[in-house]
Amino acid sequence: MNKLKLNYSSISFLPILVCIPLGYQLITNLHFGGLNLFQEFLISAFNPKINNEIIITVINRLNETILIGFFSWLVSIIFGAIFGILSSNIFYKVFNIPNIVSSIIKFFLTIIRSIHEVVWGIVLMQIYGINSSIGIISICIPYIAVNSKVFAEQLETINYKTFESINQINAPKFSSLLTLIWNPIINTFKNFGLYRLECSIRSTVILGLFGIGGIGTSIFLSFQTLNFRELWTYLWSLTILIILSELIFKKIKFNNTNKILSIFFIAVFFATILLSISYFLYFVFNNNYENFNSFRSLFKSSSYLGLLDFLKLIFETIILSLLSTGIAISLPPLLILIFNSNTSKILIKIFAFLLRLIPTPLILLTLLTFNNPSLSLAALTLGLHNAGITCKLLFTNLDRQDKRNYIAMRSLGISKKTSWLLGLFSQQAKSYLAYCAYRSDIIIRETAIVGVIGSVGLGWQLQESLSSFALREITIVLMAYSSIAIVGELINGKIKNSLT
Amino acid sequence: MNNTLLELKNISYKYENNLILNKVNLKINSGEKIALLGKSGSGKTTLISVINGTIKPTKGEVKLFKKSFDELDRKQKRNITTIWQDLRLIEDLSAEQNVNCGLLAEKNLYFAFKNLLNISSFKKAHKYMQLCKLHHSIYAKKISKLSGGQKQRVAIARSLIQGSNILIADEPFNNLDPKLITTIKNLLLENIDKNNIKSPKTTLVALHRLDLLKDFDKVIGIKEGKIFFNIERSNLKKFHLDKIY
Repeated sequence: MNKLKLNYSSISFLPILVCIPLGYQLITNLHFGGLNLFQEFLISAFNPKINNEIIITVINRLNETILIGFFSWLVSIIFGAIFGILSSNIFYKVFNIPNIVSSIIKFFLTIIRSIHEVVWGIVLMQIYGINSSIGIISICIPYIAVNSKVFAEQLETINYKTFESINQINAPKFSSLLTLIWNPIINTFKNFGLYRLECSIRSTVILGLFGIGGIGTSIFLSFQTLNFRELWTYLWSLTILIILSELIFKKIKFNNTNKILSIFFIAVFFATILLSISYFLYFVFNNNYENFNSFRSLFKSSSYLGLLDFLKLIFETIILSLLSTGIAISLPPLLILIFNSNTSKILIKIFAFLLRLIPTPLILLTLLTFNNPSLSLAALTLGLHNAGITCKLLFTNLDRQDKRNYIAMRSLGISKKTSWLLGLFSQQAKSYLAYCAYRSDIIIRETAIVGVIGSVGLGWQLQESLSSFALREITIVLMAYSSIAIVGELINGKIKNSLT
Repeated sequence: MNNTLLELKNISYKYENNLILNKVNLKINSGEKIALLGKSGSGKTTLISVINGTIKPTKGEVKLFKKSFDELDRKQKRNITTIWQDLRLIEDLSAEQNVNCGLLAEKNLYFAFKNLLNISSFKKAHKYMQLCKLHHSIYAKKISKLSGGQKQRVAIARSLIQGSNILIADEPFNNLDPKLITTIKNLLLENIDKNNIKSPKTTLVALHRLDLLKDFDKVIGIKEGKIFFNIERSNLKKFHLDKIY
């Protein structure tokens, strides 16, 4: 018998097998109690509430969302670049500092990165109360760490020989460093900056669902009051915002040879650093720490979380990540393969856009109208949302790809589906899997969001511990989260390296 | 009078268990024009990297101005410039920005900033680029858009603009046509010091073309990491070359 040989294409489809246990649990958990609500939710999409009052609210809430998203982005991308430089090897080579300092900075950034912005938001809200600056800070903390990783990775691509030749000129160290890092930093801003702005706006919406403000808060409130028509007004306005921003981002082309623009960007760079530091100091010295002090006394509180329960939660979180990753990897190529006509592709694109648009907590709450809370439901939610993102990437890459193989296969009379699989997708599969490895890092962190709402894993425990001010439990849960995310990042890093 | 600028004492360099340089002893005096000959892989580039301080020898001592590299201050280190065989230019910068990089040592951080923003003065850079016969139409072009010969001359201009006394060059005539070779050779070997243009007084040039030897004072032959001869150019005989090729 021939041995089964796996290639990148088949590996992309295999994870869909997670749907077997997942589907089984979902079917057994099915209920029809909320079917009417679900119907109403769907119908309201075509009949959103439109009047003067709601339009003004939408504009105000969108403004708030854009402002929180924009400032979080600006601060996180600039400080991300700074920490990226400080954690890259090139900095230590130029200044002849032992690499151990870089390793220490990288380690701390990895820990900060491993905790999702929602978790930061919930914790900071408990300490400082609700306000917009908490939203900005909650997004900035993990985003600075995420951006710094991207910048550091770009700086690692600097040719060692170029470093030697600049170093050999014996210029002042800062001049050498600046000359070496300038282009990688500018290129990262160009290629990555606007994408991060989009991420920042999405995170603002999600944080809004947890009460931090902006359109997310309005979405959550209208969902809680089952005011679906109002809910859809917010969702459609968010759709318009995202489509508009995507169109604008496509048009924006940074030209770093434009002197006035370059000087403007540098002015913004330094102004942001100065203002951020000033604001941070103001925030630290002008805050009322009464909540924090009462929080501190709870350090002595004993934990009621048994070891077995805790291990169960960790296990649940890992399984949740694996199941979601499986869906996110396999669903997009499988859907495109099965429904290969041009009309189907447009429908898949719209479906993927909606999955990206609707925040995960909202998808989960909607699914809860006809299914009991379970690990499978949380995994399905997270998997679907991330499948929306991987689907967009797959379509973008397939559109850019050379189609000669596909055309040649079609001209030989091979079916459309087979030609797509062998002539198009097979060439994309490796890079697609590499991106999915990166995406699974994010999925691990996002388990916190669905966990909080879907009563699964460590996310749920975090919410419970926060509600009862059990700080010791919170610390343990955060450490566990962080450890899972770090281990996941290490494994995914290895997978990604082997694929690129 | 002892005017030794650079001295290599018993230098050995090992890389992954291979002995690349084997007990090399060498003295370079001020004003000397030295040609370094040897087959590809004979250790020429490694010797150059040891001389300019880019790599530290496994054994032995390198002395520049009678001091080891660690004892030299930045100003003294600036007295040595290198034209690398693989050029080592910054691909994303323009030709004139790359040449201006040669001035980084004598300028401050603000100059580096202005150079990257393309708002610094390129007057001096243009002067050296003209000397290297680079046409003004390529001054603002990115390195990645230039031909091999143009890149070679940008690297040479970047090296010369540093105004160092000692030039170490690893096959600087690659990619150049015969007419340009003569121009560049004159630029590297003639002691020019006028109109704000200064060429290095002491040069060590690794090369393959034997017809270019006539302009050098001394010739060093290297094979398998060992110096086989270090003689006046006038004393060079065929058997010397047979030893190393």
